[in-house]
Amino acid sequence: MQKTILVSLIACLSLSAGNITGKVAAGKGNSVVYVDAIAGKTFPPPAKAQVMDQKSLLFQPHIVVVQAGSTVEFLNSDKVAHNIFWPSVGGNKKLTHNLGTWPTGEKRSFKFDTPGAVPLLCNVHPEMSGYVIVSPTPYFAMTDAEGNYKIADVPNGSYTVSAWHEGMKVQSKPVTVSGDAAADFALSK
Amino acid sequence: MLYLPKVIAPSSALAAALLLLMFSTDIKAIPAFSRQYGTSCTTCHINFPKLNDFGKAFKDAGFKFPKDDESFLKVAPVMLGAPAQKEVWPHSVWPGQIPGVPPIGLRMNNFFQFTGANRKRFDALATPPTLPGFIPATDFETGFFSIFTAGNFGSDIAFWVDDDISVAGANANGGLGDAYLKFVNIGRVLKLPTDSLSLRAGQFELDLPVTQARNINLSPYDIYQESNIGAMNSMVPLQQNVNNQFTFSNGAKGIELSGGHTYGGYHYSVAIFNQNTSGISQSGIPYVPSATGGAGGGVGFASDSSFKNVYARLSYRFNLERDAESRNGVQAAGKMGPRDHTYLNVGTFYLEGRSLQRFFGAANSDGTQTILNVREPYSRLGGDFNFNYRSLNVYGVYVYGKDSNLLPVDANGALIPLPLSGSPVPVAFVSSEHATYHGGFLQADYMLLPWVMATWRWDSVHSEADRINALALASGTPYFGAFNSTRNRFSPGMQFLIHPNIKASFEYQFRPRQALKVAGDGVTTPVFAYDAFRVNTFLVGLEFVY
Ligand SMILES: [Cu+2]
Repeated sequence: MQKTILVSLIACLSLSAGNITGKVAAGKGNSVVYVDAIAGKTFPPPAKAQVMDQKSLLFQPHIVVVQAGSTVEFLNSDKVAHNIFWPSVGGNKKLTHNLGTWPTGEKRSFKFDTPGAVPLLCNVHPEMSGYVIVSPTPYFAMTDAEGNYKIADVPNGSYTVSAWHEGMKVQSKPVTVSGDAAADFALSK
Repeated sequence: MLYLPKVIAPSSALAAALLLLMFSTDIKAIPAFSRQYGTSCTTCHINFPKLNDFGKAFKDAGFKFPKDDESFLKVAPVMLGAPAQKEVWPHSVWPGQIPGVPPIGLRMNNFFQFTGANRKRFDALATPPTLPGFIPATDFETGFFSIFTAGNFGSDIAFWVDDDISVAGANANGGLGDAYLKFVNIGRVLKLPTDSLSLRAGQFELDLPVTQARNINLSPYDIYQESNIGAMNSMVPLQQNVNNQFTFSNGAKGIELSGGHTYGGYHYSVAIFNQNTSGISQSGIPYVPSATGGAGGGVGFASDSSFKNVYARLSYRFNLERDAESRNGVQAAGKMGPRDHTYLNVGTFYLEGRSLQRFFGAANSDGTQTILNVREPYSRLGGDFNFNYRSLNVYGVYVYGKDSNLLPVDANGALIPLPLSGSPVPVAFVSSEHATYHGGFLQADYMLLPWVMATWRWDSVHSEADRINALALASGTPYFGAFNSTRNRFSPGMQFLIHPNIKASFEYQFRPRQALKVAGDGVTTPVFAYDAFRVNTFLVGLEFVY
């Protein structure tokens, strides 16, 4: 029953939507591309939470991308104590937050309402580094190792699309979707 | 490790004293672990080389993560035998492992010193035509370049070796620091509780309440540098025949049993180690037998007492977190992340040893001389506390030292004046007043920021003999001579981590008063010092480990 609705929904979308594809040149690691906030439009957050793990003194995965309003569950899989805090959200230092510490195998959740990059840090292992990228819209994608990305099923329209990469300046450009669209980015420090 | 003799020839005393002052820190931190685990120094250290609670647990476990060690290693160890080889033992060698990368850490430091204007007072000590040495107000000096390696060979066998490759720009005069194997938790073979029994063998720093080897200050703890050298000064009425070179900062050669944890609960250790009263190696003496061929290319053996010294320490650490789970954890669960516990650690330690004095006795009928060996029992008794609350750590150590004082007597039972002149020859020894000293230190460390630490220390050593020795040296230079029987030193300091592995340290040292000149003949008038002064110093250290 649900499946039928989903299929018909996708069929319906495909009539007036397209994919945004392209390549982000930004050096090593994955980049994140997302459609910026669309005036007058809100999106219900997904019900399922994403998990960011702390394992072997590493944030795994290194980057988690979520839609604004989503909950991220922070798991500690290590038999040592960790901490998670972030100094800012999208560069806004007022949104700094500290989740404290919790035992092995347990999770602590946080709901990210404000879009932007959230640099995750651990105050006992200062080399630990991870990111939650909070996208203002459900239209986002992570690039592959070569920098290629594909944001699927974006409704036709004119948008601002932004590309983020660790340590680089965020770059935004207007993209008009009418069927498929393409946007390449070359990020710099 | 620097093992400078306590009694220094007057001509070189100043230079040696300055060296002692500048280079007796022996700091250790292990970048080798950083490389293997892919983690920062601060995982184990607060302001390296000071260990945090996690670092203490890592060390207790034999340089391993206390739980699940393999899952944290970023460089896989090289297996020296498949684990399944254990099943064929004893028909195969028990499998072990070595670290996947050479577990090597290196360390270098440099110093800069300001010396107070009073240093010019030393010029008065030299009588023409002797020109006194010039002591500049400011001075640069290179420090230690050291290598250290440590890790775990599997089966909970930990190892550590560190060596100063060069000191003050000269090669190899620092020598070996600690070098040992530690068999962690051997008690499991005897079905004892976990971690209740470990064995360490080799050369190591005694299980001191506050480590000298991982001292964060630029200057060493005065009480750990204190040896008990009695006065052999004909100018003073109290004669002492005590010349014991032992200091707590010496590396001990021997074995140690230990158990418990340094991050909570009980901890004990019992060490049995060599005494070397004179600090002299016998390896160059051809007629000293050595199973390794000491005079012919092997190592020599250099202890000078068959009695092996015994050192024992017992401490208990009360972790004071309210929440039970947090209290029993390696680290406390703070609101803002894991942190060191609030704790109170109290401990006591005791050392029993024999120091050797040797004299020529009377000639035998065949013309050979008898040699009198006097083994003077000595002991050191101490207590300590260590209190930590968040960013503040306050700790102190007190030591009482006592050496039996056996004075030589002639055939008539009369005391022979010291130092001995050859006649009359001693035939026996009588017990006299003990040579004692006591003192300790009190230190407070405060972390203002994760990379800024303020330190404050008070060292105090009381020794009558030190003062008398200083007076005896006053015609040379009593740079470290005590004007009073009690030497107090105050050393406030600041330390800045430029990076987790680069540190700039500043330390001001309010030195005790120095005796410049003495008067009195010791017979009609007592010997006394006058024209006393202080030379305070300001020391800057720049250190990096990698
Ligand atoms: Cu961590």
